[in-house]
Amino acid sequence: MSLEIQNLHVRIEEREILHGVNLKVSKGETHALMGPNGSGKSTLANTIMGNPNYEVTEGKILLDGEDLTEAAPDERARAGLFLAFQYPATIPGVSVANFLRMAVNARREEPIKVKDFGKVLREKVEMLKIDKEFVSRYLNEGFSGGEKKRAEILQLAMLKPDIAVLDETDSGLDIDALRIVSDGVNAMRGPDMGALIITHYTRILDYVKPEFVHIMLDGRIVQEGGPELADKLEDQGYDFIREEVAAGNAA
Amino acid sequence: MPPSWLEDFRKAALEAYEREPLPTWRRSGFWTTSLRDLDLDTLEARRYEAEEELPELVRDDIGDDALGGLVVQRGASTIRSWIEPALVEQGVIVCSLEEAVESHEELVREWYMRRLSHDEGKFAAASAAFWTGGAFVHVPKNVRVEQPIQIVYLIDEPGTAQYAHTLALIGENAECSIREYCLGTPFEGSALHAGAFELYARPGARVKLAHFQDWGPAQVHDISTKRVEIARDAFVSWVPIHLGGHLTKQTLDIVTAEQGSDMRHTGLYFTERSEHLDLFTTDRHEAGHTHGDTVWKGALTGDSRASYEGLIHIVPDAQETHTYLQTHQMLLSQRAKGDAIPSLIVETDNVSASHGGTVGELDEEQIFYMMARGISRAEAVRTLVEGYFEEVVQRLDDDGLATLVRRRIAEKLLAAEDQVTEFIGERAG
Repeated sequence: MSLEIQNLHVRIEEREILHGVNLKVSKGETHALMGPNGSGKSTLANTIMGNPNYEVTEGKILLDGEDLTEAAPDERARAGLFLAFQYPATIPGVSVANFLRMAVNARREEPIKVKDFGKVLREKVEMLKIDKEFVSRYLNEGFSGGEKKRAEILQLAMLKPDIAVLDETDSGLDIDALRIVSDGVNAMRGPDMGALIITHYTRILDYVKPEFVHIMLDGRIVQEGGPELADKLEDQGYDFIREEVAAGNAA
Repeated sequence: MPPSWLEDFRKAALEAYEREPLPTWRRSGFWTTSLRDLDLDTLEARRYEAEEELPELVRDDIGDDALGGLVVQRGASTIRSWIEPALVEQGVIVCSLEEAVESHEELVREWYMRRLSHDEGKFAAASAAFWTGGAFVHVPKNVRVEQPIQIVYLIDEPGTAQYAHTLALIGENAECSIREYCLGTPFEGSALHAGAFELYARPGARVKLAHFQDWGPAQVHDISTKRVEIARDAFVSWVPIHLGGHLTKQTLDIVTAEQGSDMRHTGLYFTERSEHLDLFTTDRHEAGHTHGDTVWKGALTGDSRASYEGLIHIVPDAQETHTYLQTHQMLLSQRAKGDAIPSLIVETDNVSASHGGTVGELDEEQIFYMMARGISRAEAVRTLVEGYFEEVVQRLDDDGLATLVRRRIAEKLLAAEDQVTEFIGERAG
């Protein structure tokens, strides 16, 4: 199974942000999508998940061959997609545990037994070194930046998607939180999940090693390669890539 | 024969009732509450015999909760008056006000209408002049009542005029929980509930008070005044819940009357169809070193109208008062209209008083977030509205009533699901 983005053009409020993006992420693979601020990374993440503020004007989003370009976000989620949000919304009055149970049940015919749910939740909470009280708190209400990201990874672990997109999950985390979040993602990696890690920095890639690296500039993917591309970026920075691309275009 | 002091009250009230015109309440902007479609001449104070079984609606809404006492009034008649025998031994009184006037005359006379007046409009006068049945609760000094004391006013036939009066006196350092339900069955036609409620929490008392109003889809007009007075170092947590009524006009006042008195005032309303709700609450601080914490949340569907006005009033000499009031209102349909207005009158210095109000709609980002987890738009909307009210439901601190409130809100949201989902979707699109 794979997520395929074909020639994707996306507009927000009359301005085109993505100008024809192609990308394929298969189960079992870990990809990194890197780019400076404003390059269109978050637009891609939101469009993959079907955020109604973003308008696809051309191209397709396919999951396992099925066209999801026009599908509602909940259909995409039930089809196996997941987005760890850069800025997760606050859901007052709904505890982390209740929210998770609702999300788990949304993709099942029969609701999960309370006992079974409790057992899985406890496992994941331990894996992510999350305080037990945490799951009784209202989702993201009064959470620190690190807690919000952990709540996202907890959802990832509970929902076990086929393809997960992690939008800047590393931003705003101190080194301990980054390690815990990375351990969580690593524990999820394997033949059953494909991951697209969207990041500005190479820092998270020290913990979660991608097999494929894509670099996005100005709404296009401009370079692709293996992990060595991330190392190059670390050493030389986005300006260097930008110059290379400009030189390539000129030639 | 009713005592002469009560006859005097009723006579003065009757004069006021005959003098006062049928009121229309207007405020700046679009707001008018009018009683155009209420014909007082067609209404009567219907009498009923007490029966073995309570009416089904009353049984269902009370549920299986163990109670300390119960008074049920149907139309103009008390159809149930019961108190846990162990509480009688401790001197607790739960009965109709009519009965209390006879059996506990001195106590009733001392407190009756202390904070209420027949001079507050036609319907305050009507209730003072014509009330029958009613309810009386007295928890003596130092007595603690664990189980809730339940009062129910039921209207189940068109043409009913129900004039209600509840008097509750909670003695020094006493503790109790009181629930007053106003319930209506879904009949065709018009009815009136003119209610008066007064509660006095004596020094050091701790009281949990809840009002639960759901008149259902019948044309019940509810015009009521409820007033709570809190004496020195006493605490009252008051949660009025409005879940249904054709036309509701209520004045709800909570008074911290003596030093060190403290209150928490938490309200909820949900209007649907063509319901009209007009609430005016006052947090009145009459002494120094008092504290208040008020939160009111509402939601509107259908063509309904809801206005909440919340006033903090700190009188001269009430220094060192700390209080705040927040009000939120959520519009869930295109055609619903409402407003939520907090205001402040401070007549002294050295106090902290703040207020805030919001009127808004559901946040599309929250809906997208939930949908990204596989939850349908309809369920996301329902969950967000339920979550919005959860803060208030938690403050009930009463599992039985909380379950009832959650169930009713869920039912109302389900009934309005299509219009709500469409409305939120249109806003987004």
